[in-house]
Amino acid sequence: MPFVTWLKRHLVVIGGLFTLAYLLLPNIVVTVFSFNKPKGRFNYEWQQFSTAAWKDPCGVADMCGSLSLSLQIAFWATVGATLLGTMIAFALVRYRFRARSAVNSLIFLPMAMPEVVMAASLLTLFLNMGAQLGFWTILIAHIMFCLSFVVVAVKARVMSMDPRLEEAARDLYAGPVQTFLRVTLPIAAPGIAAGALLSFALSFDDFIITNFNAGSTVTFPMFVWGSAQRGTPVQINVIGTAMFLVAVLFVLVSMLITNRRNSQKA
Amino acid sequence: MSTLTEAPPPLAPAEPAQKPPRRRGRLTPYWLLLPGLLWLVVFFALPMIYQASTSVQTGSLEDGYKVTWHFATYWDALAEYWPQFLRSVLYAAAATVLCLLLGYPLAYLIAFRAGRWRNLIMVLVIAPFFTSFLIRTLAWKTILADSGPVVHTLNSLHVLDLTNWIGWTAGDRVLATPLAVVCGLTYNFLPFMILPLYTSLERIDGRLHEAAGDLYAKPWTTFRKVTFPLSMPGVVSGTLLTFIPAAGDYVNAELLGSTDTRMIGNVIQTQFLRILDYPTAAALSFILMAAILLVVTVYIRRSGTEDLV
Amino acid sequence: MTTDNSGDVRLSGISKTYGSFTAVHPLDLTVPQGSFFALLGASGCGKTTTLRMIAGLEEPSSGTVHLGDQDVTHLPPYKRPVNTVFQSYALFPHLDIFENVAFGLRRRGVKSVKKQVEEMLELVQLGEQARKKPHQLSGGQQQRVAVARALINHPKVLLLDEPLGALDLKLRRQMQLELKRIQTEVGITFVHVTHDQEEAMTMADTVAVMNAGRVEQLGAPSDLYENPRTTFVANFLGTSNLIEAEVDTRNGDDIVLKAGDGRLVLPQARCSAPATAGGKVLVGIRPEKIALTHADDAGSIPEGRNRLTGRIADASFIGVSTQYVIDSPVCDDLAVYVQNVERDGRLVPGAEVVLHWSPAHTFGMDAAQSLVAGTVGSAGVETVEEEAA
Repeated sequence: MPFVTWLKRHLVVIGGLFTLAYLLLPNIVVTVFSFNKPKGRFNYEWQQFSTAAWKDPCGVADMCGSLSLSLQIAFWATVGATLLGTMIAFALVRYRFRARSAVNSLIFLPMAMPEVVMAASLLTLFLNMGAQLGFWTILIAHIMFCLSFVVVAVKARVMSMDPRLEEAARDLYAGPVQTFLRVTLPIAAPGIAAGALLSFALSFDDFIITNFNAGSTVTFPMFVWGSAQRGTPVQINVIGTAMFLVAVLFVLVSMLITNRRNSQKA
Repeated sequence: MSTLTEAPPPLAPAEPAQKPPRRRGRLTPYWLLLPGLLWLVVFFALPMIYQASTSVQTGSLEDGYKVTWHFATYWDALAEYWPQFLRSVLYAAAATVLCLLLGYPLAYLIAFRAGRWRNLIMVLVIAPFFTSFLIRTLAWKTILADSGPVVHTLNSLHVLDLTNWIGWTAGDRVLATPLAVVCGLTYNFLPFMILPLYTSLERIDGRLHEAAGDLYAKPWTTFRKVTFPLSMPGVVSGTLLTFIPAAGDYVNAELLGSTDTRMIGNVIQTQFLRILDYPTAAALSFILMAAILLVVTVYIRRSGTEDLV
Repeated sequence: MTTDNSGDVRLSGISKTYGSFTAVHPLDLTVPQGSFFALLGASGCGKTTTLRMIAGLEEPSSGTVHLGDQDVTHLPPYKRPVNTVFQSYALFPHLDIFENVAFGLRRRGVKSVKKQVEEMLELVQLGEQARKKPHQLSGGQQQRVAVARALINHPKVLLLDEPLGALDLKLRRQMQLELKRIQTEVGITFVHVTHDQEEAMTMADTVAVMNAGRVEQLGAPSDLYENPRTTFVANFLGTSNLIEAEVDTRNGDDIVLKAGDGRLVLPQARCSAPATAGGKVLVGIRPEKIALTHADDAGSIPEGRNRLTGRIADASFIGVSTQYVIDSPVCDDLAVYVQNVERDGRLVPGAEVVLHWSPAHTFGMDAAQSLVAGTVGSAGVETVEEEAA
């Protein structure tokens, strides 16, 4: 087949794969450079191979502390956002109520608004209230912007659920609570899990809003930001690579489970 | 057959027949909405109002601030920082266009051509999300390093001469130039473009392509006349979710740019956290927010809110 | 509670409106204990809404629902001794077959369900599939699970919402017989909603034909078929020839009508319209009741039969029968079905023929009705939003 025709046929695939490469390149660099032994304070140029950083991941002062803080905040933010967001999603899908447009808009806006605007205004609020900036202000902010994403994830799942299933449960003597616990919740669970996962990722990785509202507390992204000025330790790359691998593993495993479940069709 | 002739366990006794029909769960939706919406109102909407109020205050850190309806702040802020505003819009627009051009093929690939690789590719698209984006953005400093292979290649292909001429780069560097910032922005916001596009494309019935082919349409024509129009909701949604946050970003400009590439996000950040000029910072933030609300309102007017969330 | 009438279903003045739509106009209906009752009608006629009101899945806008002596109108579904087999089966995807069938028992606090569930699965021949998930079964199997899941609770009434719609023809026939058999053995009252008139007539003891939120006629299948009272019923169940005629005189128990040049005799008892002299009546006769004789043999037709002359416009050989379309001065497009016993070679398009039938097979209806009500694609049928919720 002439080259040009082949090219035309596969243009989309080539383009798509190029984009995928563009997306993954930094990750590859991060991983590669976690094995670097830099000369100076910064880890931007390859010097020589070394596993020193991997052997001593918490060797940098304050880094693991900030990591642990970020994980804690992410956990609690996920709990809060998932709870509140799931309730909203159910209300949106299963019920009719007034001011639907307003609710939809209010939920959409945090997703679309630039972080710097939300960060600045939230800081203004906290300053006006005289609140102490730190763990709690960060947590409040995170729950705020993760909420909307949970709503989207759960709503998508609940919308695809056959409403007849809940009717069937009621027909079979399940009261409202029983119906919710035994039928609605289990079937909506994948959506809720997706929302929770998304929320965790967003919270852990957040920088701008956190930066504005953290006061003197340091989360992991803030630590990385600071290190861009002070000096980037190789351990940052180690953590970055480890996170990536854990995430890939997690997603792959859950996809495998779902696939196996789905592939047992008659 | 014995199962069907055994006596069933008794049900709960019936309620008296005269009870009027209780409107079951009429208020339930409101109870469900309350906590979450309250949270958003207090921590999202209310701060915006505080923001607006701060922007018309005057004072200083020592003397305290008072609302004096000092609208001149807005004027001053605009006069001084309109270049950064413009720059932000330009960079964000460039990044959005690039995201669309790069993201569409990938979304299309995943939706229609991936087959059994679909899940794997989706994982590869989403997984970087889970690594701190700051670390990944810093990696661009390595990729675009002056002595690195990428810049070397671009130089030898004289691509940099071209971009210098347009004004995107300067000298023979890429780092600390607009090009680097736009590259970073594109990289950071690609997933926000790809996912809505994919969702939209995935909904398209593959048989429409077959029907178009059956009716004499060449592949490119099918794309132009059938696929692309049907993917418009995803295109619009992805554009909104890319352009808007990109316009307010400052991380990429700070890490990959220079003082010449400062965006409005950088200005707001400096004003807020370093110079502590709260009224000015608030005014700038408010202007940005107002512009965005305008765009979103236009969108809602045209397409309604049901597809938003 | 006695078991005599506890399975009765009595709807009194039941209606359902959604805003300005009336899905079901106030109607009264009694389904006797132990009978197989069918609600028959086209899409949107209100039959499913009525069923859901019996189940408790819809609140009636007015009227009451009684199960035996118990007024259940305002009881939620989980408090009614009634179970539903849904159109799309509504099997719980996250539970296996065993748990699906056991669901109702468990909710009512039955501790040991194993024996009952296993016996029920044997009854519907799904014993091997107990641990599979619904999506692993075929449509027919899923349908049987849905029936098992409902029956195991010994409801007073079993409601079936077009449960056989998704099955192919052969399977549907099989399931029709199966359901009828179960109902006869178990003796539970069945209320079956369907748009398939053959299905309703095969399975049910009593059929209610519904149209635009009202019951057009209620009775045994044979009654409805042989003696329809409205054009809708006449056209919806099978095919009918409807001829406009004018009342001439009375002759004992019979009404004599003028149609074109001829006279038609209609027994008084089979006329559901007031027969005033000079008034208009629609005379109906089913195609299979008409005999076709070539005009040359007109003399061989016995006395006392209703007759019409006409010309064959079309003849289609179906195998079992030949279906003729006859043009007559009295009525266009008369349908005649002649069973394929002896074929008369002269009966071809263009031939002059005489149609004749026994007066006892004639039925009469009010002429002030749409002639096409109940036919496929008829313009006169109101469709109402059933699923407006």
